[in-house]
Formats: sequence, structure tokens, C-alpha cells
Amino acid sequence: MREPRNPFRLRASEHIESDATFLRLFEPAMLDVLPNEELWERVYILRSAPGGGKTSLMRLFTPQVLMTLHAYRGREECRELYSRLQDLGVIGEAGPRLLGVMLSCSRNYATLADLALDEARKERLLYGLLNARVVLAALRGAVALKRLEYPAGVERLTVEAIPQGEGLPGLGLPCKGNVLYEWAKKVEADVCDALDSFGPSHYHALPGHDVLASLRLIAPDILTLDGNPIAERVLVMFDDVHKLTAGQREKLLAALIESRASVSTWVAERFEALSTDQMLSSGATAGRDYDRVIPLEQFWREGGKKQRFERLLINIADRRARAATAVEMDSFASCLQASLEGAPWQDRMASAVKDVSDRVRSLVGNSPRYQEWLSARETMKGTASEILLGWRTLEILIERDKRKAQASFDFALSTEELEHREGSDVQAAAELFLARELRLPYYFGPSRLAGLASSNIEQFLRLAGDQFEEAVSAALLRKPTDLPPDRQEAIIRRAVDQLWEEIPQRVANGGEVRKLLQAVGEFAKWATYQPNAPYSPGVTGIAVSMTDRDRLRQQRSAPGTPAFHLARAIACAIQHNLLEPFLDYRVKGDRWMVLYLNRALCVRFALPLHYGGFREQTVAELCQWLEHGFRPRKEPTLI
Amino acid sequence: MSVAEPLATARWRNYVMESGDGLESFWRTHFRQERHVLFILGKGFDPRACLGLRSLLEAGGAGRRDIMAVEFDEGPSSPSKAYRPLVEENWTALQALVEGRATLSVRVVRIWSDDGRRIGARSAAALFSTFGDVSGYTDIVVDISALPRGIYFPLIAKILHLLDTTPENTGRRPNLHVVVAENPLLDRCIQDDGIDETAAYLHPFGASLEMEATADHPKVWIPVLGERQGTQLVRIYDLVMPDEIAPVLPSPSVNPRRSDDLLLEYRELLFDRLRVEPSNFIYACERNPFEVYRQIGRAVFHYREALQPLGGCKVVLSALSTKLLSVGTLLVAYELKQKRVEIGVAHVECQGYTIGAARGGGGSQADSELFGLWIAGECYEP
Repeated sequence: MREPRNPFRLRASEHIESDATFLRLFEPAMLDVLPNEELWERVYILRSAPGGGKTSLMRLFTPQVLMTLHAYRGREECRELYSRLQDLGVIGEAGPRLLGVMLSCSRNYATLADLALDEARKERLLYGLLNARVVLAALRGAVALKRLEYPAGVERLTVEAIPQGEGLPGLGLPCKGNVLYEWAKKVEADVCDALDSFGPSHYHALPGHDVLASLRLIAPDILTLDGNPIAERVLVMFDDVHKLTAGQREKLLAALIESRASVSTWVAERFEALSTDQMLSSGATAGRDYDRVIPLEQFWREGGKKQRFERLLINIADRRARAATAVEMDSFASCLQASLEGAPWQDRMASAVKDVSDRVRSLVGNSPRYQEWLSARETMKGTASEILLGWRTLEILIERDKRKAQASFDFALSTEELEHREGSDVQAAAELFLARELRLPYYFGPSRLAGLASSNIEQFLRLAGDQFEEAVSAALLRKPTDLPPDRQEAIIRRAVDQLWEEIPQRVANGGEVRKLLQAVGEFAKWATYQPNAPYSPGVTGIAVSMTDRDRLRQQRSAPGTPAFHLARAIACAIQHNLLEPFLDYRVKGDRWMVLYLNRALCVRFALPLHYGGFREQTVAELCQWLEHGFRPRKEPTLI
Repeated sequence: MSVAEPLATARWRNYVMESGDGLESFWRTHFRQERHVLFILGKGFDPRACLGLRSLLEAGGAGRRDIMAVEFDEGPSSPSKAYRPLVEENWTALQALVEGRATLSVRVVRIWSDDGRRIGARSAAALFSTFGDVSGYTDIVVDISALPRGIYFPLIAKILHLLDTTPENTGRRPNLHVVVAENPLLDRCIQDDGIDETAAYLHPFGASLEMEATADHPKVWIPVLGERQGTQLVRIYDLVMPDEIAPVLPSPSVNPRRSDDLLLEYRELLFDRLRVEPSNFIYACERNPFEVYRQIGRAVFHYREALQPLGGCKVVLSALSTKLLSVGTLLVAYELKQKRVEIGVAHVECQGYTIGAARGGGGSQADSELFGLWIAGECYEP
């Protein structure tokens, strides 16, 4: 296949065929999500919406990628990654120290549940197929790690007997690797043939196993080459576990916990694995050994990691920009103008200063209360944008004060008081209002682009890819490649419109989900654009009390009720990262589930990208929204 | 092996297909002798649901006429629920049509398992379990106009299998016909809604494709392209992860620019993201499923030949275009499976359908053109 013209289009890691390209595009900061302690001792679950980065992370630990990394360890673009993996004990100067076995659970397993068999028999078939595939994937990895031909090279491997181990039907231990290979191949082929069969069932003759014994078969002390372990450590990574049935998933997780094998195991799944009830309770499985859940989006969203994630995204973007074949570009940020300091914008803002200041003077009238504030603005020095922002901020503050101060005396307010009240949130609201009033671009620059990702790497790549496409086209036409703010915003709006239009198609119960998002968005817009900007810089989410949340969870068994539909719409929206949940948020003496709009949707409703602005809603109100849409109360707004 | 070999051994190298007036004439000739017919159709909202049956019944002829309406429930949240009145309208029309001329029965295909998984394909294949279920008929007609792919693919494959594997001494094997009412305007109005998160291989085409033992065999994906299938293409791609992509474009076509339009629609996806080689495109006539069958068959042959040094290849087909063309995909998949080729049909289901604004114009039935494909039976016997 040809080299990528726009590497941002290679979104998922699976789409990147070459291990070298994969490594060039992999940002080492992604490893931050892994725990510092007990990384190899416990079962970990990586969970996210699609595009969170689970598969990329797992692919990094597979033999071919590690071997390529080892070969490229001297190269600048791989040095940091090599060092990070060295620290984790995954790789060393002699080569990979870990045998990573990656296995997708999307293949046939769920179909086993459809066979006309009793549950115990189905469970045996599940373990049979899993055992066969773990063995086959491990043998392929082992042969690759030892630079042997596959499958001929398996002959050189030896499988030792498992001390006090359960036997596997049809397999005698110890044995040579090729015996194990043929055994696993036959087990898998028999099951797959039966699944694809037209004819009458002969399922009872199919091979089945009682336990997930394969993990023990591939342990470092059991699977060897010339008497030596294949690698110091074996890591089995089960991807796409959400594709198993709920029962199969539970059994697999339990089997992994109970396994006495000395191999490490990771599990990756989408939120789909969770029921509506679990989604609303954030998938809590407290008290279980596998409760080492690493929720990827949440990881970046919480604990003040916003800046770290932003850096991660920009680094990812830089790596992709450098990989482009059509243009030479070292930094993605160089494609995006990051301010409105250019002449056309400054001119527009300069001419707006008079209008806004006149509006403020008219608002003040003859009141002595704001005279000092007015004087401060009139003598203010700075660029046109700074002066305009100062006036618009003042307008918001006066609107606020007037609403509060109607009953108070008309004492003059000091400039110190102005500075005290003039927080960054009010300035942010003023900037947003001005963008809307003067039709200035608002969604532009690398930082806001990163903010639009909503903690999801694929979403970022989608938005950034569109910007990069334009820059590449500009380069080919020998035009400046740094996109002006208005062009950036136009590209983002087009992408967001497309995202919006795709919701009914892409998302389960998409029609319902979009109705809910529409209502939340319209409400947020209404609440944001009040003249006094009461929730500055703006509202971008709603909150449901934890008590109401529990009521919603109970409604899952009452299909057809408004609350059932609401619960389902919320769960589906969370699954796809269209709503970002924060559970157990404590405010106003109560506990809340806060649901923020996906940041890209904020563009659709002209909202800021900040977190923190939300308004409480009852379930009854939200049910109304879902049915009839949001209807604003009769209060003045700027809309 | 010569280039001509795939055609020389192809099961449907010669075929019988009629459309429009030609089909009516074919029915009249075919039913001159007494024939017992099982007519299978979908109980859905599609206004084309009864066109095939009407055409067949109007041809007259002696013999039994049994109509089996296949009912499928897409789930409580399906957008298709909104078209319940249209389903009822079709059903009333169907009842009136068969009144005094045929017997009418309903068979339900379960689409969802109790735990919310799709089982429609297996359920559809299970509608017939033995040759005895169809042996009493001289002709089986499957009208796919109002049936989704996830149902008519396994259903037709299963019937073909029953006909093919039954020993000759068990009696005369029935003819198998497929009928479809083509209407590009209406197709454009009916949109997939709530597309499943992930694609899957349709039963019974695909379990062998997912074997770990052959995971290193190159995969060739041959999607038959149709309009507005971007999401489906991406999801199927994510399932297949092909090493080579050879999309099928409709050419010749009624609209000579249709292939160009499709390339424009999927430009970014095909060339920037999936990096399809321009020389990989396959062209097949948009009104002839046997041409699709033949072109795909030929491509598969060449890929297998070229990749033989690597242990051969796996082939994945996807029907993303009209129902008429998808029959060609089904036939080639069926034949290759019989020949033990590692073949799969990758497909992504949706929760239902919405009908766009153009529906309700009243002219949709009149704009439809009926196609009849005779795919098994006397005409293929020596």
C-alpha cells in the first residue's frame, strides 16, 4: 500500500500496517496510563469509548513491534519510548524481555452462545476455543521473538509438564512445540467448522475444556527453547472483550483471576461491555481482584491532567505531521494560527470598541456607582482586542452588580473592586460573547483543538486530520500553510456537523441520544448567554443527583417508561463519549452525577470548552426534554 | 492454471435472469405446467413487498401456491417501528392479493437473543432444517425486496445447501428463484439507522476466516460499493483488517457517472485512510448480479494464485450496494465456500430504517423494476 499523504487519517493502530510507522506515530506519554506498581502482578482492564487508545497500547507490547523498537532504539523518534519500556522491564539491550500475546475476543466466541447446548457444554467450548487460540498466538509470538520461521519453527520449542496441572484432552505433556501447535489447530478448526456448518449439529463431538489452562502452558518456565524461557515475562492481552456475551465476559474475567499461571494479563474493552445499570454506576466492580480498571478518557480528564493530555495530543499530532510524505512539516502547531492579532481581526475589534463602550455607558446611565470603573476602562492601554475585552468584561460585571445591588445603596465601586471581580472566568465569558456578537473565530489554535478532543485520541485525530488536510493542500498549491483562525473554525464546524449527522447511524438508539444532546446543548446555550453570564464562562453540562441516578438505574427493567428511555439514552451517550460523566461530584450539600457535553458538540451550541459549568436537573425535567426538547424559561438572554 | 479456468468451472457461468416484461413472460411460460410454489417474502414496510408475488400470481397456472411471510422484529428501539402503519398496509394488501388464490402463513425470525445479541442470520437459516421442508414443491421463490441482507443471505444459502446436498434418489429437487424489485430512488430514501457498533461475518460465511491458526494468511476484501455506506465500510474494515482491498464499482451503469460519484463520496476513506491501489478496482454491470459473481470469482482466483506462495489467502466479501447486486455476492460466496476457499461475508447490521422525504410520493411501486433470477433447478441440469 502507498505511503500516507495525510497520516492523521490513519486513526486506529490497526490501520497502521508497518510496525516502524506505528512506532514513529506512537507517543510515549500514552504509557502514563499504566500503573507504577504491580503492573505485572494483577489483571488490568483498559476501558474506553472507541478510539481511546486501548489497542495501540496493547500492540506496543507485541513481539514484532518490540523487535522493531529494539532495532530502532538509536533513532531519535524511538529513543524515549525505548527508555520508558526499558524502565518497565519490557525491553533491554539484548532485545525484548517480554512475550506479548494479543488476542481479539471479537472472533466467534459470542456465537458459541447460540448453539443448542446446555450452559456447561458452552462453557467448555468457550475455554476450548480460548485455549487453542492463546496457544496458537503464543507460539507465533515465541517463534517471531526467536526469529524462527512460522510455523516450521515451533518444532524447536518444548512444552514442559505442568506441575500439579490439569491436563488438556488430547494433549500429552511434555511435548514438542509442533505437537502443541497441531493440537491447538485441530481444536480451533473443529469448533469453527461446526459454527459455519449448514448441516445438523454434531456439537456434542466438539472439543471442550474445563479450565483456561493455556495460560499455564505458555508460562516462561513451561514453554521453552533449548531449555531456556522464550522471554522473562509473558503478557496475554485480551482485546475487544466487550464482544463476548455478558456471561462469557464474566467467566473469562473470573478465570483470569483464578488462574495460577505466572503470566500477566490485560483486558481491553469498550464501555459497551457494561449494561445501562453499570454505565450509570461507571462500571464499578468494587471489591474484585480485577478491579484495576483503567478508564482511559477518565484518566486524562481527572486529577489535573488536562495539560498533560494536551501535550500528549500535540506530540501525537507532531509525530503524524512529520510522517507526512506530501509536505515537510516538523510541528503540527505551525499549521494553526493561534491568535486574532492579525490586521483584519484587530480592525474589526477596534471598530467595535466604540459600540461596546457606548453600550456600557448607556447601561451605567447617571449612576455614580460605576464611574470609577468607567474611568478605568477609558484610560486603559493595550491592543484593540485587550481594550474591547476590557469593556465587554465590564458590561458583564455591571449587569451582575445591577441584579444584585437593586436594594443596596448607590455607593461608588472602586477600581480595586473591579480587579477583584474581574476573574479569568468572566474574561473568558466576555471573549465568548464577543466572538458571537462580532462573528469572530473562537474555536481555533492548537490548545482549543486539543480541548475539542474530549479526552479521546481518535476524535482529536479526526479534527486535526481535517486541519492538516487543508495545510497539505495549501502547501501543494504553494500557499501559506498556517491556517487562519476563521478557516480553522470553518473546518471544525464542518467536522462537528458531520459528527452530529452521524449520531443516529453510529450510535445505538442514536435518535434518542441526539434528542437528549440537542436538549442539553440548547439548555446550556440558553444558560450561558444570559447578559450577566451567571455561570461564566458558560454551562456545558447538566447534573443529576445521585439519588435520581439510582432511580434511573432501577428503571432499567421498566421498558417503555420515560425514565427507561432516558437511562438508555444517557448510557448510550456515555458509551460513545458523547456525554462525559463525573460521578459523585459533591456540591450544594448533595452528591451529583455530572454529565458534560462532548467538547466537539460545544461547537454546535456555541459553548466554551471549559469544564466546571453545569446546572442541576431532575429526572422528570430530563424526561420532558427527551420527549419535547428543551423549552427556555422567559428570561432575557443574549441569544 | 489458465485465466479461463474460473469461468470454465463456475456454476453460474450460464444463467437465467429476466426483468420487467420479460419476467412476466417467463412466469407465464414457466407455469404453463402444473407447479407447486412456495413463495417467501418479507413482512415489512417496504412498498415493494408485494410486487413480486403479484407478478407471479398474475401469471396464473395450476398447482399449489403457499406464501410464507417472514416476520422479523428489529427490536424495541428500532426506528422502523414508526412505520408500523405501512407494514399493516402491506399486510392488508398481501392478504387481499392471496385471497382465494394461495395459502398464507407467517414465520417469525428472531433477530435478538435474550441477552441482546444478533441471531437473525442463524434464525433465518433455521427456517428450513431438512430437505423434507421443501420437497413438496416444484418451485421455491424468495422475494428479497422487503428482506434485509442479514436474513436473505443465510436463508437462500441454506435452501441452496439443502437442494445441493440431497441425494438425487430422494425425488425431484425444486427450482430456486430469487426475485427482487429494484428501485434506486426508493433505495436512496430508505436509510440505515442506528448502525451496529461493529461488523460481523454473516452465518454461515466467516467462522473459518477468524482462525488464529491462519491469522498470517493475507486477507483480501472485496466490497461491492453503494452510496452512503461510509460508516458501514469503516466498521467492516475494522473487522476484516485486510491486506488488500479490491472494491467493486458499478460500471456500466444507468448513470454513467455513478462510479465517479462513488469515488468522490469515498475519496478520503478509500485513498487517504485505507490506501486502496487505484488499479485494484473491479467493475461490474449494475444491473447484472451474475456479472458481479463472475468478476469477483475471477478476482478471487487471481488473488489466490498470486498469493499461493504465502499459503493462499482469505477472501472477504461485502455487499454494500443494491439487493440485486448483492445476490451476485451471495452466489460467489456460496460457491467458494463449497470449494473450501476461506471465504467470509462481512456485514454490519442496523437497528432499523428511516424513510426519507421522497417516500409517499405514491409512484414508488410504479418506478420499481422486477428482476427474477433462476439460480437452481431444471435449467442447470444436464
